[in-house]
Amino acid sequence: MNLNDPRDLLWIAGICYGISFFVGMLKTFRFEVSLLNQVPVLGIALGFLIQTRALYLRGLEVHGCPLGNTLERIQFILWSLILAFLILRFIWRLNLLGTFCAGLAMGAGFLSLILPGSDPPYWTDPDYLRLFSNPWVELHASIAIFSYGLFSLLAIVSGMYLVQRNALLSRKHRLIGSFLPPIHDLEHAGFRLLTVGTSFLTLSIIVGGMHWTRHPEFVTTTKLYVTLLLWFGYAILFFLRVGNRLFGSKFAKASIALFCLAILSLSFVNSKSKKQESHVVPSSDLSLAHSP
Amino acid sequence: MIREASSSLHLLGSSHRVADLAARERISLPPDAIDDFYLGLEGLPGLHECLILNTCNRTEIYGASEENFAPECLHDYLSDFRKIDPEFLRRHSYLRSGEQVIRHLFEVTAGIDSQMVGETEILGQVKKAYEDACRRKASGKMLNRLFQKGFQAAKWARTNTGISKGQVNLGNVLCELARRIFGKVAACRLLVVGAGEVAESAIESFKSRGSQAITVTGRTFDWCPLSRRKPDELAEKFGGFALSFDDFKKSLHFFDVILTSTASGKALIDLEDIRECMRKRPSQPLFLIDAAVPRNIDERASKVDNVFLYNMDDVSDIANENLKSRMAEVDHCKSALGQRALRLWQQMTTTHSKEPASISQSTAPRPSS
Repeated sequence: MNLNDPRDLLWIAGICYGISFFVGMLKTFRFEVSLLNQVPVLGIALGFLIQTRALYLRGLEVHGCPLGNTLERIQFILWSLILAFLILRFIWRLNLLGTFCAGLAMGAGFLSLILPGSDPPYWTDPDYLRLFSNPWVELHASIAIFSYGLFSLLAIVSGMYLVQRNALLSRKHRLIGSFLPPIHDLEHAGFRLLTVGTSFLTLSIIVGGMHWTRHPEFVTTTKLYVTLLLWFGYAILFFLRVGNRLFGSKFAKASIALFCLAILSLSFVNSKSKKQESHVVPSSDLSLAHSP
Repeated sequence: MIREASSSLHLLGSSHRVADLAARERISLPPDAIDDFYLGLEGLPGLHECLILNTCNRTEIYGASEENFAPECLHDYLSDFRKIDPEFLRRHSYLRSGEQVIRHLFEVTAGIDSQMVGETEILGQVKKAYEDACRRKASGKMLNRLFQKGFQAAKWARTNTGISKGQVNLGNVLCELARRIFGKVAACRLLVVGAGEVAESAIESFKSRGSQAITVTGRTFDWCPLSRRKPDELAEKFGGFALSFDDFKKSLHFFDVILTSTASGKALIDLEDIRECMRKRPSQPLFLIDAAVPRNIDERASKVDNVFLYNMDDVSDIANENLKSRMAEVDHCKSALGQRALRLWQQMTTTHSKEPASISQSTAPRPSS
């Protein structure tokens, strides 16, 4: 176990999330041990710190925001998810949401570590150039990934909404539904997350768009269409919800479907390869930072 | 040692376990007779301390006495005081001594011995009875310790076992469902159509959780003050509002929870009414409770998004389900309380045998003047 190796640290972070998830589930079903009361939130906080350290170390290796392969993208989204949860926890105190987040962070985190070929060491390539040669592009990518984190939280909240709704409609009182937050709160939380997530995604697209207008050759047509499609999807969902055209279970299902689409789109939203980029424009020309 | 001291705690009681309502009515002490009953108890030779627990479901006399006290005296005294046949009382009562008294009290305060297992009202009644005994200086060192430990045992049982888990009262079940839909029950606007027992129970439960916006309407409602009928009386009783029955359908969208319990024999609220209502409050959930038989709300209303319709069978099923899960905890709780009772009895008898009678370490609340 090397504490300076990002992968090892990510494993430890996953274990912390796992502990938080299992203790959270035990607490949910009232198997309470007073000594373990604070374990779920401490587990999430510790996992988050370790994950931050791991991404920081990977960032030093790749000389930029670590978003170069599947593992990095998944881990960054999970990091954003946990960050969003930690911020929202102070507002809503939804403990069970933390348990669900920890479960997802553990499951998806371990999957990204186990998945073969998810973590190629692209930065060791002799021709490797910095992943993001322009700070505005780096900002675009990190905001976009943060919005993905918010959308993953929205998907979790929507899932909780559907579970609660089904429990209420099935009239089975002792199911997990009785431990979940109220329908009304979940619907409000979903709307707020959609608002914040869509705002961040819009901001990310504006920042990325500024770069794209100057150097359209960096962005593949597929990436452009997939990104715009996703943005349109969330924007339409937002306006339908604001106009009370889409709400309740349909809103929750649409949020989950869009999130699945967002995850699938991850494989398309890569920029052109660094080699290609380096041949197209010298890095000194990538001075978008000076654009107004 | 324990054997010698075991005669120092006694209990004579009658409850729903051994007596039906008619028998309990005969045995129960009228409130205005309690003073006289205490006076007579204090006069019983050998009985040092006593406490009367007199509720609608049980009449119990707890006593601490010297070793040679015959607990049958309590039996004779009660039958004599209430002018009932001693044999009748024997058939509808129980007599306990020593550790059994502690065990029984623990089970009573924890709600295991209640008709509605796990209910919490009994704890308040026991506390009241204890305070009354302290005020009269009828309770002393033994009973003070016994009851203080009884309150602790009740708290332990409710915290550490599932004896009080889930709601079993219909009104409380409705409030719990409203909480799962809206979060804060206090913020829910409740409309009650009709004025049956279920309606009253629901209003009481919502009111006790801080709900202020309670409105009542009914078919027999009339604005004329001279012909006031039940619905507006109900509204007045709970500080709610009365709504004209002719207008209530137009106002459905103003309410979060709608409970119907009229004997109209037909659907008062149909699918189109609910659709119209939800068009006016699209993103807000609506909780409908149909407590009437035949039903007052078209059951197709449950298909509308964000509408949660429950009928009396659904609510009763939930209450019964909760009761079953409480019942499943009874044995576990009894055995844990039994161990606590045994420990306390061993401590009491040891202390009792070591300490001189003059040493008094009262933990009783200060008697109020």
